[in-house]
Amino acid sequence: MFHVFYTNKITKKTDMNNPLIKLEQVNTWFPNNKSILGKPKFWIKAVSDVNLNIIEGECLGLVGESGCGKSTLGRTILRLAPLYSGRIEFMGEDIGQLDGKVLKPYRARMQMVFQDPKASLNPKMTIFKVLSEALHLNSSVAKENYLEQAVKLLDLVDLRPEHIFRYPHEFSGGQQQRICIARALATNPKFIVFDEATSALDVSVQAQVISLMKNLQKKLNLTYLFISHDLSIIEHVCSRVAVMYAGQIIEVQDAGSLFDTPRHPYTKALKNAVPIADPESRKELGILKGEVPKLSDPPSGCHFHPRCDYKKDICSKKNPIVYKIDENSWVRCHFQEELWQQGVLINSKESL
Amino acid sequence: MNNITLNKNLKPASEVEPVLKVRDLNVAFNIPRGQAKILEGVNFDLFPKEILALVGETGSGKSVTARSLLNLIPGRSGETKGQVLFAENDLLLMSDKELQRIRGNRISMVFQNPQSSINPVFTLGEQIFRLIRLYLSAAVEDLKQKTHCSQKQAIETIAKEKLNEVGLTDIKRTLKLYANEISGGMAQRYRIAMALISSPEILIADEATSALDVTVQAHILKLMKDLCKNKQTAILFITHDLGIAAQICDRVAVMYAGRIVEIAETKKIFANPLHPYTKGLLKAVPKLGKNEPLSFVPGIIPDLVNPPVGCRFHRRCDHIMNICRKQKPESLKFEDNHNVSCFLYKQNHKENRHE
Ligand SMILES: Nc1ncnc2c1ncn2[C@@H]1O[C@H](COP(=O)(O)OP(=O)(O)OP(=O)(O)O)[C@@H](O)[C@H]1O
Ligand SMILES: Nc1ncnc2c1ncn2[C@@H]1O[C@H](COP(=O)(O)OP(=O)(O)OP(=O)(O)O)[C@@H](O)[C@H]1O
Ligand code: SF4
Ligand code: SF4
Ligand SMILES: [Mg+2]
Ligand SMILES: [Mg+2]
Repeated sequence: MFHVFYTNKITKKTDMNNPLIKLEQVNTWFPNNKSILGKPKFWIKAVSDVNLNIIEGECLGLVGESGCGKSTLGRTILRLAPLYSGRIEFMGEDIGQLDGKVLKPYRARMQMVFQDPKASLNPKMTIFKVLSEALHLNSSVAKENYLEQAVKLLDLVDLRPEHIFRYPHEFSGGQQQRICIARALATNPKFIVFDEATSALDVSVQAQVISLMKNLQKKLNLTYLFISHDLSIIEHVCSRVAVMYAGQIIEVQDAGSLFDTPRHPYTKALKNAVPIADPESRKELGILKGEVPKLSDPPSGCHFHPRCDYKKDICSKKNPIVYKIDENSWVRCHFQEELWQQGVLINSKESL
Repeated sequence: MNNITLNKNLKPASEVEPVLKVRDLNVAFNIPRGQAKILEGVNFDLFPKEILALVGETGSGKSVTARSLLNLIPGRSGETKGQVLFAENDLLLMSDKELQRIRGNRISMVFQNPQSSINPVFTLGEQIFRLIRLYLSAAVEDLKQKTHCSQKQAIETIAKEKLNEVGLTDIKRTLKLYANEISGGMAQRYRIAMALISSPEILIADEATSALDVTVQAHILKLMKDLCKNKQTAILFITHDLGIAAQICDRVAVMYAGRIVEIAETKKIFANPLHPYTKGLLKAVPKLGKNEPLSFVPGIIPDLVNPPVGCRFHRRCDHIMNICRKQKPESLKFEDNHNVSCFLYKQNHKENRHE
């Protein structure tokens, strides 16, 4: 029933060698313009030296400390944040240097859904207006078909046609997020960034939205980047997970294994801080010692070294290279091999 | 103890007086389609030193509850009825001027959407300095005497200390920034620091840690627990994260469509959830390391312009009986520190069963 609209359905299998998005040495730095001369005094290195492939059809999770650059990375891929250096490939095309009109068709194929659906829907617009605005960016839909198309979009996200002339405040949080998803789908995207898109929802409504997301992903062959603080939801939704710390990706693994067998000390720290929904097993939540790093002046060497229990001399001197674990996974830590051999990162029972 | 009989059932074992008593709180909003009856007969107590979790479906009225506790629902958009008793006074009857002296001082709040609750036209520094001048003048004087520094330096030192407590770094730079220049997590930590400056008797935290990653969250949760212990602050902790409720809260209240359907000691509600909605909610919690499919409560929250008669959950309930469509289930005591509003737990409930 979506064939009118979703003409270019792609049925390729997941292919490691043929990523939908390929990031090479990507840096997103924000200038700090507080100096009088107009020259930035220093840069806020929100994303530094990121190399990452996002494979067609996958749901890649992105976790990491508040303020470490997750949203900025998502926005960088969508070319909504200033790229300082590096290369962004989307569907085989280098879009990092494109601008204006040339960029527009690519932008439409990439969408973002945010945490707060209420804030991202204009309260004065009916749902039809909201969706029409988005359909405007989709050149394959003629204006006289907007209504028909909007109804189809609502159907995709399990809302009813009679909802179309209502206003956002008449919907529950979960329904509003469905509307945001419908709006994202209006431009016929291939890639969607979900930035904390379910964290404002209660667990039950979250489960409903997640199941919708998963169905849509299959139906429309979408590729997702799923940013979240909730490790258990990441584990449920994603196929692979990237862990970010102070602007860098420090570990990538399959979702099924990441939290069982973390390879990076920071990943382990994350896991230890998860509050478990069982009052009978109360524990001191693992608090990371030390301070959140400054992105304007990140620690030397391994960015995590001031807070790492396993650091040695070299850690403050040299930024670790990427160690490949297998085809899908890698880690950035000088001592990953030793830590793995010693088994110190694999949690024993007491921590869960 | 007084003429309010309801709270007998809602009290924890200790005999301390609550700092806040909410009685029969009703909030209705006027919307184009009619009047939406968002809160109906909300009752609960908040005790000193306790952390009470308020959980429930998105849109069930948790934030409206939080806002109406401070009489923040504007009269032209809605109608608030009932009582919110704080230090013998009903906050709902107070003038704006009287409320100003309580809000942000004796009762502090941290809201959802941290960015939008920070004034965008002042730097973070300007805003926190103002609060420090307002509430911590004694500490400022103290510091001036001790270190022979200027007023400005003293205020800045204290600001740095307070922001450090919530795990913010690079504070010198941060103080010069505006709300739109910081990440969600930074904004939330900043808001929490601001809320604590006045050492409030009550802190209302509405999804205060949802924007934070788990390690920073752990830090803030510890800060809040210490606050309860050391400064007697009572915390109403609104959250979707049942992990937090389980780990740090003393009691849990479950809200559904504007009513508190169950309230109990944390251990009791997790071990023995009674209300069908609570059961469904607890089942939907995703568990780390167990890749079971996520379950959810089917259906959506009812339209509150025409709310269902009787139990507001009845259209989604697997255990519905005839009476559920007719009568509102009152809160009843199942055991000590465990109350539920559901006809299944009425002694003679079997007579009411339909099938
Ligand atoms: N437009 C901007 N101008 C200046 N600095 C910015 C801008 N946007 C983001 N930053 C800075 O970049 C850093 C990363 O921010 P980002 O929003 O990407 O973090 P995040 O990982 O998404 O955090 P959170 O989990 O809190 O949402 C922060 O230090 C933030 O202050
Ligand atoms: N000013 C208002 N006018 C009309 N309706 C309102 C207003 N404020 C809130 N509502 C409605 O009241 C209901 C309860 O909203 P509230 O924000 O309290 O839910 P919540 O439990 O906090 O949900 P969430 O978990 O998503 O934060 C919603 O249906 C909302 O649309
Ligand atoms: S490189 Fe060194 S400091 Fe960094 S995570 Fe590994 S052991 Fe720790
Ligand atoms: S009162 Fe009736 S409808 Fe409501 S939850 Fe109990 S059994 Fe279900
Ligand atoms: Mg973010
Ligand atoms: Mg809310």
